[in-house]
Amino acid sequence: MNKDKIIIDPNLSSFFSLKDVLKYKSLLTNLAKRDFLIRYKQAFAGIMWALIKPLMSILVFGYISSKINNIGNTATNFVYVASAMLLWQLFSSVFNDVSNSIIGNSNLFSKVYFPKIIIPLSTILVCLVDFLISLIILIVLFIIAGQTIHWHIILAPLFVLLTLINGFGIGLIFATINVKYRDVKFIVPVILQFGMYATPVIFSTRYYLDRLPEWLHWLFCLNPMVGAIDGFKYALFGGEAIYNVNYFILSICVSFLFLFIGVKYFYKFERSFVDYI
Amino acid sequence: MSNNTIIKVEGLSKHYLLNKNATQKSDTLYGNFINGIKSIKNITKKNETEDFWALKDVSFEIEKGDRVGIIGRNGAGKSTLLKILSRITPPTRGRIEYSGRMASLLEVGTGFHGDLSGRENIYLNGSILGMSKHEIDRKFDEIVAFAEIEKFLDTPVKRYSSGMYVRLAFAVAAHLEPEILIVDEVLAVGDSAFQKKCLGKMKDVSNSGRTILFVSHQLASVQSLCNKAIVLKKGMVDFPLSETNLSLKHYLKEVASLSKIIIADRTDREGQGNFRFKNVILKDNENQITNSGQTGKDLIFEIEYDINSSSLNNVSVAITIYNDEGRDMVTLANHIVDQPFETLKKENTIQCRVNKFPLTKGSYICNMIAYKDDVIQDYIQEAFNLEIEEGDFFGTGRIAPTAHHSFLIDNKWSIR
Repeated sequence: MNKDKIIIDPNLSSFFSLKDVLKYKSLLTNLAKRDFLIRYKQAFAGIMWALIKPLMSILVFGYISSKINNIGNTATNFVYVASAMLLWQLFSSVFNDVSNSIIGNSNLFSKVYFPKIIIPLSTILVCLVDFLISLIILIVLFIIAGQTIHWHIILAPLFVLLTLINGFGIGLIFATINVKYRDVKFIVPVILQFGMYATPVIFSTRYYLDRLPEWLHWLFCLNPMVGAIDGFKYALFGGEAIYNVNYFILSICVSFLFLFIGVKYFYKFERSFVDYI
Repeated sequence: MSNNTIIKVEGLSKHYLLNKNATQKSDTLYGNFINGIKSIKNITKKNETEDFWALKDVSFEIEKGDRVGIIGRNGAGKSTLLKILSRITPPTRGRIEYSGRMASLLEVGTGFHGDLSGRENIYLNGSILGMSKHEIDRKFDEIVAFAEIEKFLDTPVKRYSSGMYVRLAFAVAAHLEPEILIVDEVLAVGDSAFQKKCLGKMKDVSNSGRTILFVSHQLASVQSLCNKAIVLKKGMVDFPLSETNLSLKHYLKEVASLSKIIIADRTDREGQGNFRFKNVILKDNENQITNSGQTGKDLIFEIEYDINSSSLNNVSVAITIYNDEGRDMVTLANHIVDQPFETLKKENTIQCRVNKFPLTKGSYICNMIAYKDDVIQDYIQEAFNLEIEEGDFFGTGRIAPTAHHSFLIDNKWSIR
């Protein structure tokens, strides 16, 4: 007889365990595959939408920012906006999809046991694939603008990862609230809409900080996406993307704080999700 | 834990808090708007809640290789028990100890997605049930053969017939190889040939020394599959885990005694309650009240009811008749025969007339259900007993032995 005895009792508490996740690796990839296959099924343009959607925003906001900043050479400006916009869209899709992932897949875990963290994790994979496709836009813009590439570019993946951490951490908090209060589905788009203007997407951090009173600077940098986007811009363009190293580090600390709170909060209520769905 | 015990359940309880003053859903946009404002106003007030024990102090031990049936009426706690056992929801009290790999099949085709092909769904569903990619690869051909869908492997499953869909779903699940298999009602789907195949497959599973826990309303399939059964009632063990026949006997006695209670006094009903059954009177073809029906004679069900307003529109009513083994025989429903009741008044009664009643001699049990606009208003399981006497169905004076029939139909023979 198999000796791996399993005990179920009311106090059983679980926390993130890589072993559990690896055990359900095939579920993780199959769920991601499903979501990806479904996303563009029966859409005429299919996977092209992964390009069209960000391209539209880049064109619109790139144009707006070049008008406001009165910059002549718009190609460079578009590259700037594109790099921040793509990262912001990665964040917003991870945040949005993770916060809806639990209730969206309730039909699964109300019938079968598996570590529920698999669901938001697989969501990340789908968003990441979309992001990688949309990088084509950035590469093309880079060539058009004749940008040179720094050695810093090897740091870029780190800031993509940081963006995922942001979306995942904050998303988990909202995913957990969403189980009981469906208001989340209305709140998240609002946060994202306002959040974009509080993040150096269209304008740089310098642009914002120059116009904000000094005592508000640290508040602005509590936004975890400030660190991710500034870091990403630094990796791509070098130079002065990082306005103030202290604020930059503050923002990154906030990212990890959100991750910690998100995971902790998620696991605290994970077992009772089914009772509220 | 003795050496042979594979699952040990001790004092298992599950508690729910039910919202007492849950905001009533409104049909109108305006009503919903007002409800929304009210709930924001009441945000600081504590909701009044009601305790509900879905399971209370349930204990039993299952030995390796046992095929255990879990029986009980709706709301007895069967599904809650399965959900706790399969780690979907945590218990409030008590504990479970088991060893070995457990797989639960609370639904056929969990996670199936209509847009994905049969092949993609096999991998998705398999991984949801806990199979590794390697395992699915190994069993893939077997699964496809069992489901008989070779030709449609790359067709999206939304284009499958419902039979194919269910076959595929069950096939994946059937090829799990857990030490403990938990199954809930999945056999209630599919055609009878496939149901037989499933039961056969489950017997194979148990013959290879694995343990099965099985919930079904079809007492017949519990009888044929399980060697032991436990009866639950209102969340508690009503009859301890024992030989299937003993448990079934106890359960059927319970059911029979329940249906002696006058319908109006029954409290174990579900639904919104705008329409409530009060009584059922049986009448024969001369419109005389009778205690029992007779095969081949007309039978009238006269239903008395209560409604909470002077009239009610768009109500549909159904009676399901099943035999003493729990097998569904027939459903009489006015909306299926397309004879809707335009308006029901308080003083009306509903009549359902069955010409030449086809069921043969025996005891039957009837469930009653009433809908208004597709919302359940009143649902009573085992609402009343129906005794059917032997009768001359064909008008030939010959009565066929009941061993060969459960119902009769007219038939004509000729030589051409």
